[in-house]
Amino acid sequence: MSNNRVSRRQFLNYTLMGVGGFMAAGMMMPMVRFAVDPVLQKAGGGDFIPTAKKVADITNVPERVDFSFEQVDAWYTSEVTSTAWVYKEGNSIIALSPVCKHLGCTVNWAGSPDHPEQFFCPCHAGRYEKNGKNIKGTPPLGPLDEFEVKEQDGLLYIGKTRPNTLV
Amino acid sequence: MYWNSKDISVFLEQKEFVDTAVIPLLLIDGQASQLKQSASSAEFLMALTAFIEKQFKGRIVLMPPVSYTKQANRQLLGNEWKDLLKEAGFKHLFFVSCDMYWATEANDLNVIFTPSIPLEHMDQKLRQTVLDDQLRQIIPVFAKRWSETT
Repeated sequence: MSNNRVSRRQFLNYTLMGVGGFMAAGMMMPMVRFAVDPVLQKAGGGDFIPTAKKVADITNVPERVDFSFEQVDAWYTSEVTSTAWVYKEGNSIIALSPVCKHLGCTVNWAGSPDHPEQFFCPCHAGRYEKNGKNIKGTPPLGPLDEFEVKEQDGLLYIGKTRPNTLV
Repeated sequence: MYWNSKDISVFLEQKEFVDTAVIPLLLIDGQASQLKQSASSAEFLMALTAFIEKQFKGRIVLMPPVSYTKQANRQLLGNEWKDLLKEAGFKHLFFVSCDMYWATEANDLNVIFTPSIPLEHMDQKLRQTVLDDQLRQIIPVFAKRWSETT
């Protein structure tokens, strides 16, 4: 037996402090976690989707690049495949959306033998120039949308669509 | 476009541009030995027509699939749909089917027959390629019939 005996009062004090400390910590922890949550969020990378296309392989002729991503509708996840027409203009990479501005068909580069240097919509013969500008006299009323692009590890990454900035 | 209220209101406004209906014709076989085959071809036909819809969104309306049994009088069924859709204001009708009947029997519906390809064991990428190939064969059929009467 040691000499400094713990009195009943001391013993109760220590136990109450211990238990009280746990309870206080139990209440504080979630609060602190909520407060610092924004700091812990992942950066998210701006929703860029990797494609299998090497940036070095892109030429100045528009080429079809497919990319797929997971789309979440509530609890249901489905894989969606999208397409872009990608080409190089000088040193910058341009990715155009294939969705026709008229009624939403899919346009093809050189889709019409009569207009080999244009995007062609097979539905109503809508046409666009290489930079996506709609050609007057054909049904579309606006230029093709553009994708945000970036390069990472030599591969092309495609982001969100935005209104055409080239026209 | 699909047969839903949003797309149909666009159809009503843009009737001069949206003039085509695509109708998948789907044979459902109840025999135990044929169930799987029947389901697989339905899956293929639905995937293919959805693909067609994506390509020609602004000109076609993809109808819900018309399903029938072996006993059904297909000739009658087809003609009923033809009359109905003509009345609804569609100028062009494209029936698409995996049912051999349409390939062998003569009929005036011009059904586009496509052999069913089992998609269930393919991954997403292969599926895409297969459907792309099929679509590429169908595009000229559409283009031809559209150019005949415009």
